[in-house]
Amino acid sequence: MIQKIQSLWPEIVLFATACVVMVVGISPSVAVRRSCGVIAGLGLALAGLVAIDWPGPASSVVWPALAPYVKVLVAGVGVLLLLVLAGLPDREYEAAVAHGQRYDPIRANRAEFYAFFLFSIMGVMLVSGAEDLIWLFLALELTSLPTYIMVAISSSRNRSLEAGVKYFFLGALGAALFLYGFALLYGATGSTNLETIRQVIAQQRLGSEAVNGVALAGALLAVIGVGFKIAAVPMHFYTADVYQGAASPVTAFLAFVPKTAGFVALILLLTTIGWGYGPSGQSLPEPIRTVLWVIAAMTMTVGNVLAVVQSSVKRVLAYSSIAHSGYMLVGLVAGPGPAGAPFARNGIAAILFYLLCYGVMNLGAFAVMASLERRSRSGATEEADSIDDLRGLCTTRPMLGWIMVVSAVGLLGMPPLLGFFGKLPLFTSGIGAGEIPLVVVLGINSAIAAYYYLRLAALALLEDPDVTPVGGGLSENAPPGRKFAGFICAAAVIGLSALAWPLINLADGAAKYEPRLTPGSAVSAREAPIVPSADALTEPRAASGRP
Amino acid sequence: MDLSSYLPILLLITMAVVFAVANISLTLALGPSRQGPVKGTTYESGMDPFGTARKRFNVRFYLIAMVFLVFDIEIIFLYPWAVAFPNLQAGTTESWVWLGRILFFLLTTVVAYVYGYRKGVFRFD
Amino acid sequence: MSDVTTGILTALGGVGTLAASGGDAAAHAPASGGALPAASPLVLLIPLLPLLGCVLCGLCAAAGVRTKLPAWLTVACLGAAFVAALKMLGDATGGPGTHATIAHAFDWFRIEWGKGPGGVSRELVANFSFYVDTLTCLWMLFVTGLATLIGLYASEYMAGERGPGYCRFFAAFNLFVLSMSCLVMGDNLLLLYLGWEGVGLCSYLLIGYFYQKPSAVAAAKKAFIMNRIGDLGLALGIMLTFVKFGTVEYAELFERIRPFVELARHGRFDEIPFSVQLIPLLFTVGAFGKSAQLPLYVWLPDAMEGPTPVSALIHAATMVTAGVYLVARFIPFYVCSDLALPVVAWVGTLTALTAATIGMAQFDIKRIMAYSTVSQLGYMFAGLGVLTSTGAAFHVFTHAFFKALLFLSCGAVMHGFGGQLDLRKLSGVRKMPGWGIVGVCMLVGCLNLSGFPLLTSGFFSKDMILAQAFTTPGFAAIGWILLLTAGLTAYYTFRVYFRVFEGPSQFEPGDEAHAHADPGDQAHAHAPAGHAHGGHEHGHGQGHGDGHFHPHAPGWAINTVLAVLAVCSTAAIGAYFIDRDHHGWVGRMVDSSTAAWEAPGAGHSGAHAEPPAETGHGAAPGTFLGMDPHAVMYYVSAVVALVGIGAAWWLHLAGRTAAATSRADGLLAAAGPVARGAQGKWFVDEVYDALVVTPLWVLAHVFHLLDKLLIDGLVNLAGWVPRGAGRTASTGQNGLLHSYALGMAGGLAIVLVVALFMVKN
Repeated sequence: MIQKIQSLWPEIVLFATACVVMVVGISPSVAVRRSCGVIAGLGLALAGLVAIDWPGPASSVVWPALAPYVKVLVAGVGVLLLLVLAGLPDREYEAAVAHGQRYDPIRANRAEFYAFFLFSIMGVMLVSGAEDLIWLFLALELTSLPTYIMVAISSSRNRSLEAGVKYFFLGALGAALFLYGFALLYGATGSTNLETIRQVIAQQRLGSEAVNGVALAGALLAVIGVGFKIAAVPMHFYTADVYQGAASPVTAFLAFVPKTAGFVALILLLTTIGWGYGPSGQSLPEPIRTVLWVIAAMTMTVGNVLAVVQSSVKRVLAYSSIAHSGYMLVGLVAGPGPAGAPFARNGIAAILFYLLCYGVMNLGAFAVMASLERRSRSGATEEADSIDDLRGLCTTRPMLGWIMVVSAVGLLGMPPLLGFFGKLPLFTSGIGAGEIPLVVVLGINSAIAAYYYLRLAALALLEDPDVTPVGGGLSENAPPGRKFAGFICAAAVIGLSALAWPLINLADGAAKYEPRLTPGSAVSAREAPIVPSADALTEPRAASGRP
Repeated sequence: MDLSSYLPILLLITMAVVFAVANISLTLALGPSRQGPVKGTTYESGMDPFGTARKRFNVRFYLIAMVFLVFDIEIIFLYPWAVAFPNLQAGTTESWVWLGRILFFLLTTVVAYVYGYRKGVFRFD
Repeated sequence: MSDVTTGILTALGGVGTLAASGGDAAAHAPASGGALPAASPLVLLIPLLPLLGCVLCGLCAAAGVRTKLPAWLTVACLGAAFVAALKMLGDATGGPGTHATIAHAFDWFRIEWGKGPGGVSRELVANFSFYVDTLTCLWMLFVTGLATLIGLYASEYMAGERGPGYCRFFAAFNLFVLSMSCLVMGDNLLLLYLGWEGVGLCSYLLIGYFYQKPSAVAAAKKAFIMNRIGDLGLALGIMLTFVKFGTVEYAELFERIRPFVELARHGRFDEIPFSVQLIPLLFTVGAFGKSAQLPLYVWLPDAMEGPTPVSALIHAATMVTAGVYLVARFIPFYVCSDLALPVVAWVGTLTALTAATIGMAQFDIKRIMAYSTVSQLGYMFAGLGVLTSTGAAFHVFTHAFFKALLFLSCGAVMHGFGGQLDLRKLSGVRKMPGWGIVGVCMLVGCLNLSGFPLLTSGFFSKDMILAQAFTTPGFAAIGWILLLTAGLTAYYTFRVYFRVFEGPSQFEPGDEAHAHADPGDQAHAHAPAGHAHGGHEHGHGQGHGDGHFHPHAPGWAINTVLAVLAVCSTAAIGAYFIDRDHHGWVGRMVDSSTAAWEAPGAGHSGAHAEPPAETGHGAAPGTFLGMDPHAVMYYVSAVVALVGIGAAWWLHLAGRTAAATSRADGLLAAAGPVARGAQGKWFVDEVYDALVVTPLWVLAHVFHLLDKLLIDGLVNLAGWVPRGAGRTASTGQNGLLHSYALGMAGGLAIVLVVALFMVKN
């Protein structure tokens, strides 16, 4: 118990920070209110440092080093996200207060916004440390629930509300699906503990080659349900509407945080089934492999194909976000390979590294969009979103323009930028796992993606700026932190590619795969109260209820 | 395959279906069916509807309800804890852990309370 | 399956560390190939400090600094790097036996793909590690030292540009030193290539510094493209090296080339594979591009469009010697080919002669200096080719100082006279108030360049190359051409000096003085930048107000730098006498590095009495008209230099009364087409234009047409497919909540049905 708490120190720090932020952020004094963004940032940074220095006992037997990597990753990208988010909540309201309106805390959203942000990040950290289905479910929902509200309150437009409502209902549908899957997994194995489930499934398999059908169905439902978080086909429908409806900084958040949680959850869930099937003994059971294969191929194709025809930058990035999920699913299909496999074969390490690359590159692009706004004919300002707003950006606003160019070219995966190093292991792991057709699909999709990413870059770099803009002019109205975050991201896209191998080694270390099976009993002492195996299902369970 | 243990469920489903079908069909069969302008109004009682149904009303009602929920859930969790706690050996690590857990839980409620207070939920003006 | 996994890229190895701590460096050094001992981590400061300077200058630009702060930061960083280079030299020469050491910064590439025959893992290892031997020290010493001095000079020279341009200039300046240190210090070919491209980039950025000037942009592009041709050769050479030897790290490479060197030593070139002999030739292409040799030299004179400090540092003293460094570093590869060194020698010699003839007929003093750089680089290559890497390195060393001195003096003139560079429009500058130091320094530089006997270091270094050309059998012709060139060099050098600095005082200001009238435009030379005005009591604003131009004499920074360089280029003589056993201090430095691989058989008996016959050039040592070249060359070359200077005096100073005319004018008319040819730079640019550019242009248009008709059609078709698919698919994205939910549920149903069928079967 105490040991478990030690591994939760980052989450505890975040929780405490969130509590403080929630109270500080509604202070009647402007200066105090303003400080809550800083407090949130400091808490996040501290949580990241704690995660580096204080990993505690490994939460997963199979992935002993996974949790610290994910925690540091989300804390690090989270700080950049926070820089982009800062200044977003209550923008109009604070302006009104500055003009003499009385401050009414009930109409302000700042405190909730930052607190929810922290809760969501905390959810991802908890997902990475999950060792139980119930924990996993709660952590996933802790990641998602705040995002629904963040979308709704991210701007005062009705579209944000609409997006928030859509996101909430469809999210509930997804949650229902994977919760159903979890129930079936429990039914098939008699345990909610991930490690026990793994051991039981492995033992059940000893008799026959096939996997327990109920467990298989459960895993499938869970995978598809969690697919909502990563926006995988067929759970991708919400993406474009929600991404476009939310304010750009929140969209950047949506594209990274729930996606990270989803992929970590998928890794943990599929570990229970294990990559121990197929002719090579290193792939998933055939039905799951096929389903994931099709989902991966469909996800990247649908995402890319839809992105090609969009004229809204945020929709382009939304659909491309779907496509990137599809790329990463290749790593999941490939699996970690044999224990101690080199990096190039380890698809899980490829996913973990790609999450880092994608988070940085994507945030750069969104930071640019978040820094621009357009004055409409009616005089109100709205976010710049049309692809034409990028025209000649390198000339008019060189810094934003170049950030956009670097991010877009990075997302495309052009060597020698970071995106290339991210995609390379996905390719090699797919080839190593013998999934050649899927890798071909991945290659074709990268080519399609080049079309719209290069369009983003070329518009900003090569075109002349609009002399007579439609409606009002483009203006730059963003807190300096947003541009700074964009600059850091662009610098990282270039600079981290020089450090790509050390970083890849880090991801490889995080994806160390140790699929040991405890001989004999599948249950260790800690999990004793839980029903040990499938046989126990048939036995009366009254005994465990008594105090 | 022994399905006898599922019998109660079957019974329950049957009852639900029968109840629903019976109610609707009985109403159709037995109830009088008159039509007319008065019958067609919003409130059969004769009250005239006014304004739009999408009228705004004070949001504090919801806030109070939410705050109530916080404390309600607190009680729900406290009760079983209080029942179980005396069974623990005093002074053992386990008992301290249990105490710590509930204290942490209470702390979260306090944060919620402070938040609600600062937010002005308890002000009625 | 396993063979597939072993077939793919495999990344292994420890987590790279950025830490510059000694412990880490020691721990990693053995892993990075060979068993060379670790160098002091202080070495890492040499590239790190310019990097710091570059970042600081970038920050200055971001902060909108409008003072000279970037210059001082640059000088401080580069000065510290120079101190670190001195320490590195101390470490490298201090020990009992001088061995190469390696300083490891961090892992860069470490890619492994399975095992080759004999269980040796096939891998590509290239780290950010620095190979420190005496050759490295020699180069880094003058790179950092000159960069510091020229940075100081530029602080004043560029003062008119203060603001973003100033920051940009110094950021690129620092970046250049960083790239140069990667080039010179890298312990593998990839890092060398990175530095090679890096200096090319910086050169491009700095030539095109005045990017609003079309000629500067064109010159920048020309330099970049010409260098690409050379770089292609180098890149192919590196690839071939990796394919043949399986490594790009020097420590390993020099081990693996050893058997071939042994073969070459016994003249058995037939047994050396052709591909190994090809490597030095490919390197040579790269070296000729970077060091501006025939036929790729045409970019260097045009590169003078850049600010003068850049011309001095990059296009005279340091970057252009990268090619010499490359050949010197890989001398063991060159001796493996019986073709490579003669090619290097002959191309170098012909370049020296061609450039000298062009230099004789030009009127732009900076361009004359540029051609003299090309010519002197030709000397260095000739030196390498005739197997005196010591002579070549010594000439690089002395040339770096005196050529920087000459350029900076010319720059001071240009700076002071409103961009005037035509030697027909300036005269007697030395006698003008405040120009004394510049005049004396220019004289010192000219004496060095023309090889004035005994007093100058240029005399000794050039002499070493000349003598060796006669000593090494089969190269006597080269010796004669070089001797002739030495005379021409003395002539055109003093032609500049006598025209510009001596004679009656006259001047005509350059274009930039007139441009000063429109505000805010190219006024860089005259903005009130706080110069000392050498006795003029009125400032420039006043001076221009009455429509007159007043040259302004250089300030303390420029004068100090010039004086220091003048002293240094004279003091470099000392290096020749310090260690006579090794042909001077430079000789000792070269002998204890990889550049000296031809030396072991030579026996080191005082002079190069015994030629390296083992290297395949056969026959007995050559003589100079029956005498020992080393003994008589002092006198011969001294006479040649004096004759050249005397001719210049007679034609350009004696009895000259005006700036524009001289006795040589009549001679020029008499020479007819020859003079016109030399003035037109032998029309090399025009020939290139007709032979290469025009056909390519036509070809490009033909291809463009084909591309439009054929390829674009196909590409458009390929582009249309995803777009059409997107249009179709986006009808499902109608924004309705329930249709989304339906889509999700439908997708789920399909997935489940598929899975069910799979389980059933």
